[in-house]
Amino acid sequence: MKVSLLFSQVLNGLATGMLYALMGIGLSIITGVLNIPNFAHGALFALGAYLLYSVIQLVGNFWLALVIAPLGVGLLGALIEYGGIRPLYKAGHDYQLLLTFGLSLIVTEGIIIIWSPVGMSQLPPPLLRGGVDLGITFYPKYRLFVMVAAALLVFGAWLFLEKTRYGAIMRAGIEDKEMVALLGIDIHRLFTAAFALGCVLAGIAGALTAPIRGLNPWMGVDMLGIAFVVVALAGLGNLLGSIVAGLLVGLAQSLVALVWPEASVAVIFAVMAAVLLVRPQGLFGIR
Amino acid sequence: MPLVRTERLTKLFGALTAVNAVTLEVEEGSLHSVIGPNGAGKTTFFNLLTGQHTPTSGRIVFDGRDIAGTPPHGIAHLGIARSFQRTSIFPTLSILDNVWLATFARQASWRGLAWRRADRYPELTRRALEVLGEVGLGEKASLPAREISHGEQRQLELAIALAAAPRLLLLDEPAAGLSPDETQKMVALVRKLKGRYTIILIEHKIDVVMTMSDRISVMHFGSVIAEGSPTEIQRNPEVRRAYLGGVVAT
Amino acid sequence: MSKAWLAILAAVVLLPLVVRHAIATEIWIFAIFGLGLNLLMGYTGLLSFGQATFFGSAAYVAGYLLKYYGVNVFLALGIGVVVGAVSAAAVGYLCVQRSGLYFIMLTFALNQMFYFTAYQWTTVTGGEDGMPGIPRPSALGLDIHRPLAYYAAVALLFLLSLWIMKRIVESPLGKILQAIRENELRAEALGYNVPRMKLAAFVVGGAYSGLAGVLYAMLFGIVPLESIGFVFSGNVVFATLIGGSGSLYGPVIGSFVFIWLSESVSTMWARWPLLLGVAFVIVVLFFRGGVVEAWARFWAWRAARRAPAAVRIDAPR
Repeated sequence: MKVSLLFSQVLNGLATGMLYALMGIGLSIITGVLNIPNFAHGALFALGAYLLYSVIQLVGNFWLALVIAPLGVGLLGALIEYGGIRPLYKAGHDYQLLLTFGLSLIVTEGIIIIWSPVGMSQLPPPLLRGGVDLGITFYPKYRLFVMVAAALLVFGAWLFLEKTRYGAIMRAGIEDKEMVALLGIDIHRLFTAAFALGCVLAGIAGALTAPIRGLNPWMGVDMLGIAFVVVALAGLGNLLGSIVAGLLVGLAQSLVALVWPEASVAVIFAVMAAVLLVRPQGLFGIR
Repeated sequence: MPLVRTERLTKLFGALTAVNAVTLEVEEGSLHSVIGPNGAGKTTFFNLLTGQHTPTSGRIVFDGRDIAGTPPHGIAHLGIARSFQRTSIFPTLSILDNVWLATFARQASWRGLAWRRADRYPELTRRALEVLGEVGLGEKASLPAREISHGEQRQLELAIALAAAPRLLLLDEPAAGLSPDETQKMVALVRKLKGRYTIILIEHKIDVVMTMSDRISVMHFGSVIAEGSPTEIQRNPEVRRAYLGGVVAT
Repeated sequence: MSKAWLAILAAVVLLPLVVRHAIATEIWIFAIFGLGLNLLMGYTGLLSFGQATFFGSAAYVAGYLLKYYGVNVFLALGIGVVVGAVSAAAVGYLCVQRSGLYFIMLTFALNQMFYFTAYQWTTVTGGEDGMPGIPRPSALGLDIHRPLAYYAAVALLFLLSLWIMKRIVESPLGKILQAIRENELRAEALGYNVPRMKLAAFVVGGAYSGLAGVLYAMLFGIVPLESIGFVFSGNVVFATLIGGSGSLYGPVIGSFVFIWLSESVSTMWARWPLLLGVAFVIVVLFFRGGVVEAWARFWAWRAARRAPAAVRIDAPR
């Protein structure tokens, strides 16, 4: 096997792994704070990609789109939480979850109606087109950018959660909601903020992905499953765990693609199943 | 011969010592109370006995066997039943079903588990109704459990534990949240059970404890600070101090 | 015989007169699928988002054997049930050990694994094109090729499945599962091995899904890739929810509503899943008990209107 091929596959794995980690973190925050697995997470990832596409069409600027698209998704997320999830608080988590499931259908079909049922492509910004010579191999500039950007975002998420007051409140919300409410914090605003934050992360992951894989309305469904895998392996609210799990999954996928391309997606889930067989609590979870 | 005995039973949660080297013996047929301020570790102690937590160290000996580490679903089959401090019933199921499930679990054989109609177990239904009658809920057997009052739910809580025909009954604050009238009824109920069952009682209301117990252990910050007969405990200065001017019956 | 059973028997007899035989058959197949899910969802409180795993696996395996080995139809059905149960046992084993949230995510994720495996294993499953050419061999010398004959066979199997499920939910196991739904910790304290009970429910649900899968394959003569996919899993959840997960018959009603809606609307508009999503959201927000509860509420409202005097309980002291 050519070293250059292996090397670029490893880089690919790291890049996708960081994106998986981003998805996992966003989902983890939502699931941890609101106690519901967000079934719309994949659809919102897709929406982020499509919003990026449209903003670029409108304004012509990738960087602006990269900021606006996730915020748009976050705004939608806040509306969803406020208008759909919050009223179901009394009905219970199961119904809130089912709501997100229904919404995933609406968002995905909405994408098809508003944009197109056919896949589309999106070029990276002119600055990031082409490849760069890394010595061992040529590697697309954009993918390197994604790796760095995702890493920075993950770091930013870490900073937020660990170092700011709001982040601490969110972490506390994952641990013990009753306590947080007792401390006088508006638990409903916390829920909305957590949901919106998770959606922003999904949106930005989608926006970053668009120039790599192109856009298609079902790009979110695959991502949803992967996000679930990352959370199942990492445990809720576990930032470090999400990073490790995301990278593990990303690398497993890209390395398997070298030897057995057909199995490259299924292997993600197989890895998860294998880990859970040995450690039902996930990589980092406590029993 | 003590039916149940703990030897230096300890539980640590990280840096917190919730239960500290608790040694306790309960004779068969007696009523042994565990009292202490909130947070003393009494419920955690019960959780250790019923397998919800595994001890960090120490032994739990029941009927001559070390049972530490038995999973929660195995405890019932040893003959240990528990009522909870915060009412823990099956709200949408009928009162009869709540109790029936406890009796069914203890069956030696689960024949017809997925096949026989649940109302075709006359022996079990009879026993369940009997237990409900004992606690005074016989008339309401067909009501969904969530439709009865809090006081009646505490009675149901007790009935579920009794229905398992246990040898050891662990009662965690059975009178929690009850009015003085209801408390009296509950006390009378527990009194009737004395002798027929071995009982460990966690209770906050000292007057209740003093009149009924054969022996009392006082817990504070996870440790047993005093143990003895009711009279001995009353006179114990450490106990008075622990309760810090709280009500200690004289 | 209870009113519900009479209504169902009437429906079985009358349905083929009202709709195309293939649709009528599909309704009962989907009802079987829903019954299996509801044991988990309604009775045990386990939201399984991956039932298509067992439906599709059984369809593929039985379909393969029917197509390439010409097995007889009873064997195919039996294999479908077994494949459904065994795959559910494997998936369930991983899932029941973790709490509700993770359980839900895992059922979905493992469904995806099966889906992608079916998608890629084109030599066996046909990938995106599915597995066409599934025969419908005669049963006991009776030719079930004619749509009406097949309908009768499926309806019979449905009635049998419904009866069995009724026995299960009325049995001690049914009560234990409901207790688990209500209060897992207490059920455990009573002496029930909760993960094992959940697994049992999962396996039964899988068996039902498997039966439905084989019948589906033989109905359309093809095992489409979608039958093992996330959309199918979502559809059965929707159907069960809309019928009413709180009752044994809910999934039956839900199947009617869902199949009727999907068959009629999907031909008119390709974006029918949007309506499905909207309907889902509306049901979740306003009609959680589904048709069964709405029906019960309606009758209670009528009864209250009819007897106002009896409702007043004023007894002046």
